[in-house]
Amino acid sequence: MRIVCPFCGERELGEFTYLGDAKPVRPAAGAGADAVYDYVYLRDNIAGVMSENWYHGGGCRAWLKVTRNTLTHEISAIEPAAGAGAAKVGA
Amino acid sequence: MAEFSWDVRSPLDRALAVGRYGARGDAGVTLTEIRNFDLVQVMARRGKAAEMAKAAKARFGSAAPKTPQAVQGSDATLIWSGPDQFFVLSKGGKHAIGALGQAFAQSASLSDQSHARVLISVSGVKARAMLAKLSSIDLHSGVFAVGAAAATSMDHTSVTLWRGNDLADGLAVFNVLVFATFAESLWHTMLDSAAEYGLAIAHSEQLA
Repeated sequence: MRIVCPFCGERELGEFTYLGDAKPVRPAAGAGADAVYDYVYLRDNIAGVMSENWYHGGGCRAWLKVTRNTLTHEISAIEPAAGAGAAKVGA
Repeated sequence: MAEFSWDVRSPLDRALAVGRYGARGDAGVTLTEIRNFDLVQVMARRGKAAEMAKAAKARFGSAAPKTPQAVQGSDATLIWSGPDQFFVLSKGGKHAIGALGQAFAQSASLSDQSHARVLISVSGVKARAMLAKLSSIDLHSGVFAVGAAAATSMDHTSVTLWRGNDLADGLAVFNVLVFATFAESLWHTMLDSAAEYGLAIAHSEQLA
């Protein structure tokens, strides 16, 4: 598998580290214990297209949001994660 | 009390032995460690990338690279190291960290990397063949031209790689910046990779 880093171009998998699902959103400060438990521990095990966080630690050290099919490894979208290369996000 | 020696030494001081190694005949690869440089990492503060670019232009006379490139400025090379960040490589203190603070005070955070990295210059007719064993970057002249740069990995070690100006005989020069503590490991890997082509080892005080 190769990932096309929006900053560096196409690179081999070995330069990247997988974090996991990019969907969970940190609950508000006053959210209950269930919401925090859900955010920290509970993950969907998706067979199909999912949004994932990847870290280009062997390259530009940017965090990326990768939309990948877990069955075929087909990647349909890659964008910088929020905060990575702040100028490029949303541009 | 124990006596300490605080002499500044290259992290390759023990590993590097000047001379001719590997296969006989003409050396296919030349490895040169460049010593005693000033290296400063410049990283834009959030939302200040445009200001940082302007400050770099004012300071170095050339725009900071926005894509993986190494740009020659006045008395310094600006090397892309990631989004909204770059290295300033120079000699003699003119662009050392103490001298750059004022220029980027409003736009970027600086970090002195002068003694944190080792700079290895790779050249010779077999330089590409040797580097192909270590890097997945396409270093063909038509793809990786003079001034091209990459933040990448060699032998599982993060490096900053860029192509400097060609030598007088037209051969390409590839510069590798590697973390000081990983330098010895990568150095030995480079020696192993280059042995079959014959290699010449040297160190220099001159930036290519």
